[in-house]
Amino acid sequence: MSDGMRRALGFVRRVLQRKGALLSVLFLATVTTVAIFARWIVPYDPVAQDLISTLEPPSARHWFGADELGRDILSRVIYGARTSLITAAGAVTIAGLVGVPIGLVAGFFGGWRDAVLMRIVDVLVSLPGILLAMALIAVLGRSQLAALVAVGITGIPSFARITRAQVLSLRKRDFVMAVEALGGSSTYNMFTTVLPNSWSPILVQVVILSAVAILLEAALAFLGIGIPPPTPSWGEMLRTGKSYLYEAPYYAVLPGIVLTLTILSLDTLGRTLALVLEDRHEVTEEEAEPDRSAA
Amino acid sequence: MSEPVLSVRGLAVTFVGGGRPVPAVRGIDFDVYANEVLGIVGESGSGKSVTSLAITGLLPETAQLQGSVRLSDVEVTTADPEILRQMRGQDVGMIFQDPTTTLNPVLPIGRQVTEGQVAHGQIPAQRARERGIELLREVDIPDPEGRVSQYPHQFSGGMRQRAVIAMAMAGRPRLIIADEPTTALDVTVQAQVLSVLAKRQADTGAAVILITHDLGVIAEVAHRVAVMYGGRIVESGPVAEIFKRPQHPYTVGLLQSLPRIDSVDERLVPIPGQPPNPARLPKGCTFHPRCPIGRDRPRCQTEDPPLSEVGPSHRSACHYADEVAKLFADAMPQGRAAATVAQAAALAVEAPLLTVDGLKVYFPIKAGLLRRRVGWVRAVDGVSLSVRAGETVGLVGESGCGKTTTGRAIMGLIKATGGSVSFAGQEITSLGLGELRKVRRHMQYIFQDPYSSLNPIKTVGDIVAEPLRIHGLYDEKGGAARISELFELVGLSRTVIGRYPREFSGGQRQRIGIARALALQPKLLILDEPVAALDVSIQAQVINLLQDLQKELGLAYLFIAHDLSVVRHISDRVAVMYLGRIVEESEKTTLYEQPTHPYTQSLLSAVPIPDPDAREARRRIVLEGDIPNPAKPPSGCYFHPRCFKATARCAVEEPSFAPYPGLPTRSACHYAGPLAVVGRQHEAAS
Amino acid sequence: MTGYIIRRLFQLLPVLLIASVGIWAMIYAVPGTPIGAIVGENGTQEQIQAAIERLGLDQPVLVQFWNWFRNAILGDFGFSTQSRQPVLDIIVQRIPATVQLGTGAILIGLILGIPVAIISAVYPGSWIDRSLSGWSALALGVPTFWLGILLILLFSVHLSWLPSASGYVSFWENPLLAIRNTFLPALTLGVYVSGIFARFLRASLLSELKADYVRTARSKGLKERDVIGRHVLRNALLPFVTVVGLMAAAFIGGTVVTEAVFTYPGIGRLLIQAISTRDYPLIQGVILFILVVHVLINLLVDVLYAYIDPRIDYS
Repeated sequence: MSDGMRRALGFVRRVLQRKGALLSVLFLATVTTVAIFARWIVPYDPVAQDLISTLEPPSARHWFGADELGRDILSRVIYGARTSLITAAGAVTIAGLVGVPIGLVAGFFGGWRDAVLMRIVDVLVSLPGILLAMALIAVLGRSQLAALVAVGITGIPSFARITRAQVLSLRKRDFVMAVEALGGSSTYNMFTTVLPNSWSPILVQVVILSAVAILLEAALAFLGIGIPPPTPSWGEMLRTGKSYLYEAPYYAVLPGIVLTLTILSLDTLGRTLALVLEDRHEVTEEEAEPDRSAA
Repeated sequence: MSEPVLSVRGLAVTFVGGGRPVPAVRGIDFDVYANEVLGIVGESGSGKSVTSLAITGLLPETAQLQGSVRLSDVEVTTADPEILRQMRGQDVGMIFQDPTTTLNPVLPIGRQVTEGQVAHGQIPAQRARERGIELLREVDIPDPEGRVSQYPHQFSGGMRQRAVIAMAMAGRPRLIIADEPTTALDVTVQAQVLSVLAKRQADTGAAVILITHDLGVIAEVAHRVAVMYGGRIVESGPVAEIFKRPQHPYTVGLLQSLPRIDSVDERLVPIPGQPPNPARLPKGCTFHPRCPIGRDRPRCQTEDPPLSEVGPSHRSACHYADEVAKLFADAMPQGRAAATVAQAAALAVEAPLLTVDGLKVYFPIKAGLLRRRVGWVRAVDGVSLSVRAGETVGLVGESGCGKTTTGRAIMGLIKATGGSVSFAGQEITSLGLGELRKVRRHMQYIFQDPYSSLNPIKTVGDIVAEPLRIHGLYDEKGGAARISELFELVGLSRTVIGRYPREFSGGQRQRIGIARALALQPKLLILDEPVAALDVSIQAQVINLLQDLQKELGLAYLFIAHDLSVVRHISDRVAVMYLGRIVEESEKTTLYEQPTHPYTQSLLSAVPIPDPDAREARRRIVLEGDIPNPAKPPSGCYFHPRCFKATARCAVEEPSFAPYPGLPTRSACHYAGPLAVVGRQHEAAS
Repeated sequence: MTGYIIRRLFQLLPVLLIASVGIWAMIYAVPGTPIGAIVGENGTQEQIQAAIERLGLDQPVLVQFWNWFRNAILGDFGFSTQSRQPVLDIIVQRIPATVQLGTGAILIGLILGIPVAIISAVYPGSWIDRSLSGWSALALGVPTFWLGILLILLFSVHLSWLPSASGYVSFWENPLLAIRNTFLPALTLGVYVSGIFARFLRASLLSELKADYVRTARSKGLKERDVIGRHVLRNALLPFVTVVGLMAAAFIGGTVVTEAVFTYPGIGRLLIQAISTRDYPLIQGVILFILVVHVLINLLVDVLYAYIDPRIDYS
């Protein structure tokens, strides 16, 4: 076993030693597995209407009950996990692929590049995330892709700022200047010294931003401007469920529990990662930028 | 003798929580009396700071205390928190190391200085301001009426530490604990602070515990000394005894590993190995693995010696204390100065390897709406110097004088604003990046902080190989075999190559930094404070290594440091910097024995000498004020506002950096000349 | 101080300018014609013609932007395509409702959050700290809209104490009825605000408690209460104020969502209605309005920071 692998395993072990993180990982693993194998797991077709079962309370037949069109809520929650995870993964990828290079270049070179790039980031954050996403959807129209892109764009600033802050603090460290003194070029220094030392805060941000993305997607759906029906989405289910609070309180409660547990798990995992990484590098809790746009 | 102010018996402090218990202090006894200064000296991890916190009951909850600490009729180890709180500020005052962090940045100084007294009901809150002014005046802070309502960031480092002294002494406590009170300060400021501390101690008759790693400070100030090692006191006694007739091999080791400003150039005798980690103390006598006497003796390996009487009020914890005197005598200096001078003379003929001429580095100050440039910080303002092959040039100065910027600008890490740097006859400030990279193969840089200069995610083998890989020379120079060779060259085993930097101590990391710099076989090393972050015993190891490497590889060094003793020890020639300029430059012995510039003279007089006899003999020039802001340098000679020789001419006319007749010296002073004459002139003037 | 504020305002201009270009360009990016976007899908021929002339859509793009921008600065965002009222009037009508909700939420957040932060920072690692940290994780992690649903289930459906849909009643006109209407939404948002305080104020308190000056203060014999109240709290506010600035965005977002949950007639609900009816002039107006408010909050935070920290020279 290589040394790098042993270190990685040691790191994973230290994270999982914490009870909260272990529970979170178990829950997230379950949600992910269920989402991937949704087709074989779901008891019912999530879009199949069954008007006889309309608003049927939870039972052996429908564990989570049935919705206003008689669709099985559990099956819709399972497919909703799929929607949430795809949106989160896509959005975080977009945000990371754009945000990290912006932060890297701005922090490493400084000067006019920093000024220009960070002004762009300032413009993106001048509007609260959910409003930016709403504005983008107002332009792009409602679709899964639009939701994914809109949520992704709102995540760019946090990646850019986190990366930039890390790069700036590394720039002051002697070992980065040492590479320059040894005759290493800027490109060499940026990619072999600075970037490999920046992964910890970026990793933490990936986890935290996944939570934000899931929350944001659900919030957009709840407001009725997210992914259009009939695609199952947790936020959309809460939106409809809210109309039947008197008749079928479980409708708005059960999907909400799954949504909340997913977000709490990611949040706990992110903070544990930050704490464990802090022991090695200097990633503090405050550095994990608290930009949590939806609510 | 009267009752001691503080009496410590069998004090032990163990940190629990987080793995196995760590013994930080392991059973120490001492007393401190009124009107006396007890110096506690030791390296990092010796338990000296933990002791001071234990005395005041400020240890965290994870610390377990045993034994007894009696301070003014209070048993500290068992007292309840309210009694301890009453005791702090009234019976004991504390001075901490770094005045930039010990003061609260968002409260006015005056309030911080007096709030202890207000809290204890010694003065009414309405009188606080008045009392604050009085206290600041007592520690010689100019304009105390104006200063009292200022914030810490508006004070200079020396003034802050004086304010901390005022704060600690405000309630006239019977005991003052000063934990490394001058470590964070420059040498001229240290002199100011030590004299204020001494003055206030004499005024109040307080007992003082002075904790420091600096034997010079101990020799200057302390009456009695306790030497700590591995959580115990290994030797204690009157200051003269400790320095003249040490009775413990560790004390001997400390004294011998210290470069001294007042002595000839004998090779340092470092203590081998590392100071012990309190979590993994050696069995028996904790010093035995590093001890020339006890290393192989079974008794030292198994039995921890008690601290016992070896002379009048002199105690040592060594089984073989009677052998220490011989050990001390054996290592007495053998002169080598003559050889060095001859060598320097021979070198003078050669063409210089590095020539710096009129180097300037200005940083723009931007302000206002459009971030327009409103001025310059003149970090380096016309520095000229040269380094010949195989020679060491020391560049010495206080913090903020521009010495590090000079080194970095020579290396091309910071762009020079003006002047020229040529290396082996080639002008390099105008080179493009690619060309500069080629030149950098022949000159390398060693950084001050060994903890931040190594990439934490690479193995040390990869770190040392990195320069070869960057220049595509890894295979050509012999690959892995070359790396092993480099590790052995700096005294590290080749078996450590696969480890990561965090597994190494400071001294070992500095060796790795040196190995990396040597990988490309440079001709010149620029060393920026390479030993400043290291403990005394480790510092001596690295200095010796540098000297051996120089001899073996014919390297030239530009040695940048603030420590005048270290610079004297290692250099052939020395240049003194003040506010971005070199004020004096000469052959080493000449510069230290016959300084001609008033700043050099003040600087040298301010260095504490680890010899209690020197305390009475010397006259100290205590410089007034602080180093000016390099953005707004004074007119004429930059040094004139603080200079004891300055005349009206100095305020208008900038002195040239000219050869001083009769000495191999260049000096930038209108009134350059020996100190004795100066003293008379000064007295006549005043 | 005034100079500092003016300088910061000027620094914000480029951001505001670029952002407003983006908002203006929105209608051009919408599928279909801008006219359709501005007049609405069922506009008559005359309305379309009038819009073309009023907006100068036959003029060069830069001129069009300038006209829009000039009008926007003067507060003229055009007319809503739905209600045909001036956009500005519609927005102004909604402001008091949102301000009342926000103020209530911040009050509840402070009352719940600050004691939690202080208690858990003073006893770090204790059971009380761990359970309070659990609270802050919950407060920050539970989606506002779901919390709102749960509160409605409890207080409206189950206990029938409070209405499930809130109208706006001014506190100054009828305090009791106002509280009855605003309490649930304010509590929903306030829980989130309390989470911000509990987590981030605790973090900065903890890091300040490790600072050297705390040891100095204790060594003077100050009471622990004074050490924390006089020394630590003030310093801890500095990093925390920065966090508050960052969280302002989340707070505004939370307001929008909360208004949707309770069909509370504030700015946020106005925006959602505008988006669902594709009322573009109204969308532009509301978004620009929120943008300006957000930027001003951040400016306020900067000024506050400079005011607390004596090291910042704002002359």
